[in-house]
Amino acid sequence: MTLLSDTWYVAWRELVIFVRTPVRIIMTVIQPLIWLGLMGNMMQGMMKGPGIGQLLGTGNYLTFMTPGIILMTVLFGGAFSGMSIVWDRRTGYLEKLLAAPISRAAIPFGKALAAAIQAGVQILIIVLIAVALGVQFATGVLGLIVILLIAMCFSLILSSLSLSLAARIKTPETLMAIVNFLTMPLMFASTALFPKEAMPTWLADVATYNPVTYAVTAIRHLTVTGWDWQAIASSLGILAGLTLAVLLLSRYLFQRATAE
Amino acid sequence: MTAAIEIQDLVKVYRGGIRAVDGVSLDVREREIFGFLGPNGAGKSTTIKCVIGLLRPTSGRILINGTDVRHSAKLVKRMLGYASQETAIDDRLTGWQNLFLQGRFFHLTRKEIAERGEEVLHLCGLWERRSDSAGTYSGGMLKRLDIAAALIHQPRVLFLDEPTLGLDVQTRKVIWDYIRKLRTEQNMAIFLTTHYMEEADELCDRLAIIDRGKIMATDTPGALKAQIGGDIVTVRFVAAEDKVSRLLAAISTLPGTASVTTMAEGIQRIVAHQRGDELIPQIFALAAEHNVAVESIRLHRPSLDDVYLHFTGREMRDEQGSREDLRRNRMTRRRMQR
Repeated sequence: MTLLSDTWYVAWRELVIFVRTPVRIIMTVIQPLIWLGLMGNMMQGMMKGPGIGQLLGTGNYLTFMTPGIILMTVLFGGAFSGMSIVWDRRTGYLEKLLAAPISRAAIPFGKALAAAIQAGVQILIIVLIAVALGVQFATGVLGLIVILLIAMCFSLILSSLSLSLAARIKTPETLMAIVNFLTMPLMFASTALFPKEAMPTWLADVATYNPVTYAVTAIRHLTVTGWDWQAIASSLGILAGLTLAVLLLSRYLFQRATAE
Repeated sequence: MTAAIEIQDLVKVYRGGIRAVDGVSLDVREREIFGFLGPNGAGKSTTIKCVIGLLRPTSGRILINGTDVRHSAKLVKRMLGYASQETAIDDRLTGWQNLFLQGRFFHLTRKEIAERGEEVLHLCGLWERRSDSAGTYSGGMLKRLDIAAALIHQPRVLFLDEPTLGLDVQTRKVIWDYIRKLRTEQNMAIFLTTHYMEEADELCDRLAIIDRGKIMATDTPGALKAQIGGDIVTVRFVAAEDKVSRLLAAISTLPGTASVTTMAEGIQRIVAHQRGDELIPQIFALAAEHNVAVESIRLHRPSLDDVYLHFTGREMRDEQGSREDLRRNRMTRRRMQR
């Protein structure tokens, strides 16, 4: 299967670059640390309000928030992966890839895979920090593996979308603008940071159909309540379907965008 | 003997209706260095992109070593090496990692990459620097590495798109030597585009001049220069336009004059049938007769520049192409200047 090997070497390049850029690695540790440490502590005061613990399903806001932070990290990391295509186009590297006898789909697939692997590393770091701050994962190590899988799946979705956009959008400024425009609403119109019950009705309706909500719901069940198979299975099903759809979309766009 | 590249009636019409390539036919022989010249937007890049499979031709046939590009795209890609004008080396990887990836994208085995990689790195003189980040390389080193990477799968035809764009004179000479070495040692045809006539004259066995999507001339540099004819007199007159045009009409009837062309900023280019030095006194005499002052006058033997101008006309072209193309071009120049 040359598609698999082509995909792997496209990803390999991104991963080597990631490893060779220490600042990026340090930032991936510091960012969740700040979110968890600072925001978690800040919001802990809110927990004193009556009935809030019941609303969140846990008395520890950090436990509620950790799945949100995981999703947020994956969301932003994946959403900007299209930038590497824009950059490769400008440096001529994309043309070089297209002139090689590789499957064109390997280009978005490889970059999405690299984003998912980076997301996996970041999530492991977040989990370690969360455990150090006293968060207890209800489903233990096995649950953590499932959490990792869900988050990486979500990373594939976001990065494939971003890469698909980059198949058409030629300038970094435009791509940044569109990605920024999309990620913030996706984040805040979901249950990543606030429970649906605390939202106005219209926002709760939006959140219901937001893919971020599906991912965060599954992860939150695994973190807070335990093995709620029904919730986990429906989230996983929808995420798997979405992943397949966006992978196919990126494949289609890359085969077309380059064969005028 | 099959030609290394054979292009028959290639036409490429872009979606907006722009006819970038309009019936191009040419062939490049084995072991030949073939130059492809033309102004910006003349159809050079579009032609190359059709050959290497980045664009789909609207019509026409392209054969590489007798194999049709349209029917066996992947097979043909393995026979081609391509070094773009952008020098597509990833600065964040080492020289070796860049080569390794290129080898992998051409589906070479680890063993093949190790052997060929060492060979091409010695060839381009970067073996000692292979473990350094490409970000520490100079513009000339990047270019050499880029060409080396294009050679890793032993292509039969090498495409070099403006190989010395943005490089200084010394580095340019180094790249020329390198290209000549490739021809003798690697047994392949080399197809290069350039804006530097001196480069085409130095390197190419034959060249083609393209303008507005059509081939204007194909021959050896020597034959093309001979085709232009005798000496060239470049002169600048100072007078009202109608006076000058009457003078020019008179000059063009001189028995020694082959042609008169008006270039940018009132410069006249007069081609002599043979000896330009005999033409100059006659031009002065006519100018005096028409009451036109001569601001400057210059005599020179035809160079490839003149051949080029003869076939492409206007001396200055506005940069064409999309804004993104211009950005890429500027970035390449900046990157090479280090």
